Amino acid sequence: MEEGMELQLSLDKLPIKRLDSIEENGMERFPLNADYDEKRISLIRRIDFAWAIEKDEEKKKQKKSSKETSTPWQWQGMVDNLKLAHQELSVIIDLINTVEANDAVTVASMTRPKPLPNEALSDLAVSAATKLQCYRQVGKYFKQSAKAFEQQLAREARFYGALIRLQQNWKVKRQRQASIVPGNEGFTFDLFDNSYDQGAIIRSSPMSTVRVNHDAAGMLAINVSPNLCHSLEFGFVGAQLNMQKKSNENKSPLSDEHCLGETDTESSSDEEYVKKTHSLLRDVHKAIFNEQVFDLVNREAFNTSTGFSLTGLRENYLQLSLGQGTSVYLSLVSTGQDHPTVEGELTNNAENASSPLDSSDILMHDAKQNTLKKKGQHSISTCYEIYIQQIYQEHIFGRSSEKPISSGNRLSGAQAKDGSSLLGHFFMSLAHRIFSSKILAELENVVFKVPYLQLISNPTWHSRGSSWTLFMEVPPSILHGCQIKTSDYCEKNSIKRQFWIKVVVIDDRINVKAEGSPNVAGLFKGKSEDTHSINKYDCNLADLPVIILQQVASQIINWLYHEALMVGIKANRDFLCLSFELEQGETLGLVANVDPEDTDGCISWSLVMEDSFAEVQKLHKNITNGASEYRKFLGPLSLDLLYATLIDLIAFVGGCGH
Amino acid sequence: MNKGGPGGGGPTAAAAAAAAQKQKTLLQRVDGDIANIVDNFSHLVNVARVNDPPVRNSQEAFMMEMRAARMVQGADSLLKLVSELKQTAIFSGFASLNDHVEQRKVEFNQLAEKSDRTLSRIGEDAAASLKELESHYSSSAQKTNQNMDP
Repeated sequence: MEEGMELQLSLDKLPIKRLDSIEENGMERFPLNADYDEKRISLIRRIDFAWAIEKDEEKKKQKKSSKETSTPWQWQGMVDNLKLAHQELSVIIDLINTVEANDAVTVASMTRPKPLPNEALSDLAVSAATKLQCYRQVGKYFKQSAKAFEQQLAREARFYGALIRLQQNWKVKRQRQASIVPGNEGFTFDLFDNSYDQGAIIRSSPMSTVRVNHDAAGMLAINVSPNLCHSLEFGFVGAQLNMQKKSNENKSPLSDEHCLGETDTESSSDEEYVKKTHSLLRDVHKAIFNEQVFDLVNREAFNTSTGFSLTGLRENYLQLSLGQGTSVYLSLVSTGQDHPTVEGELTNNAENASSPLDSSDILMHDAKQNTLKKKGQHSISTCYEIYIQQIYQEHIFGRSSEKPISSGNRLSGAQAKDGSSLLGHFFMSLAHRIFSSKILAELENVVFKVPYLQLISNPTWHSRGSSWTLFMEVPPSILHGCQIKTSDYCEKNSIKRQFWIKVVVIDDRINVKAEGSPNVAGLFKGKSEDTHSINKYDCNLADLPVIILQQVASQIINWLYHEALMVGIKANRDFLCLSFELEQGETLGLVANVDPEDTDGCISWSLVMEDSFAEVQKLHKNITNGASEYRKFLGPLSLDLLYATLIDLIAFVGGCGH
Repeated sequence: MNKGGPGGGGPTAAAAAAAAQKQKTLLQRVDGDIANIVDNFSHLVNVARVNDPPVRNSQEAFMMEMRAARMVQGADSLLKLVSELKQTAIFSGFASLNDHVEQRKVEFNQLAEKSDRTLSRIGEDAAASLKELESHYSSSAQKTNQNMDP
């Protein structure tokens, strides 16, 4: 039995143990090929063979003891055997522990036992499972990277989609060097317009190139500081209230937009985002244009000095005096949220405005009137803001294509021919506007006082020309309706029922054309054909009401004269007087007095009776003398009353004659 | 993409040569990348066999990881190429760009004409209204009365 135990221990058990340990090794990927012999030796060394020697000794002792005890216990043999078995077992356990502790025990000298089929299969299964695990990992890896690629592709698709759409409207440039920076492909939007090539160096705006970045969602992103965006502002110095209001108005939409651009990029769709970017770029573009305009105005303001003079200069602020006590300013106002600079501008303006009495006459009107008018003022300055932008826009962009002066640009059609600078043209227009508003006020004043006059505005569609017509319609003749014969007569002599006076203002020249009033020179020559001619006068603003009233009065005289002729009464006509010859060389005259200051009506009438055969041209002198004639003041009369007066006079004269 | 196309509106010989060269390199890159991917994939498939010595298996596991990484790298390179092509398409599609510019020009001109017309119509309307209002005013009681009373 002991021998059998020994044999099992050395031959049978160990290979099984070895197999186990190799399996574990295989699982845990221990390379076994390194120092195989050495390892074997060291492993063999670790096996403690002391127990065998001890066992031998014990055997001997037992043999001795057994020999010594003559009477052995009957169970002694079994006890010994059990003890031995216990020892064997403990050795085995010891060995197992050793093997377990050392992980690897190989006994190379032994031939490898042929694995059992089930063992081989399980071996194979383990390998296959390992491989499967590997493939799973690889698959996971592939999936992961595919997802990453997909994301990248989607981001690129978004980015390039947006870029393509924006490229259709904007110039996109690529810088290859810049593409090293992550999140930046090196694209820039070039907003600088080089279509203006006058050899002059426009200050290149820092905004003219806008960089394109990726935002967190891979979307195209541009960042434009809204503080850099300037808008042009034109105004009359002294009208700060409006300006403040306006600047606030201007500001709100853009700041809104800016907020939009920053906050809800995620929620909005790509389409909207592209639109937003587009409008942002548009703002920048407009700002650049405004800067260009300001720059050009600046340059012209220094170079040319027709019709205006430079009075104030600050950063992004230009003050120009227009003569006539009007000064205007042109400034670049930041449209961003930086209120302080704008307010600083305002206070500065206020200081400026307070110093001299440089407000225009329009502003004087403002002072008299109220906010309603101020609104008008505001819209006026907005008008000019637009107008100056339009002028320069056509100058910068419209020059290359020589467009015929169509209905579209009739506003600025004259500027090229004029020869003066754009700014000159602009300020001439401005001056003209101010001047023509004064003239309009005068005309309205006249028309207000004279009831039978009508004012008709004639739009000229020209920035430096204005025109009005003063229109008067006389009541129909009493003979006109009842006598058919006279209608022929009427047409032959062309008695006019309507009279007009045309006031044309070009730049600062007033031209008055009156129709139907007798020409003074023609009267002296006695040429009847001159009496229906058109008179032309150039005059200034102060004389305008007088001249107009004189023309109106003379037209009335002319009308009455023709009416008298129609009835068949001979009458003499002077510029402002209609006289009838009575008996004994007496003359009865209807005289018009013209006084623009008169509040009741500017044309008043009086009847003058003269004794002697007075020369017609001395009549005025006689009136001024006022000695020899009988004079009755009739006051301002309506046309109907005048006509009735004429009829009465005719009856009177006729009665005298008979 | 359209770099290697028939050349559009007559580029110079040098430009055409450069474009051809570029196309060639791009094609080479595509070929290389795809060959790389296919090669690695076939290797990956080849090591699917379960080997007897377990050592080889673990070796192959490492190899598989490496191959997979190479495949991903090849795909990445392909993607880069695609985006490069996109860029080229964006920046070299002059024909479509010009078309679009022309189209926009026409649009804007039309818009300008339309606004001109609108403006002149507004002006004429305003003039007509002004005339009407003026005639109303001049024939109104307010104007005639105030002068009639004296």
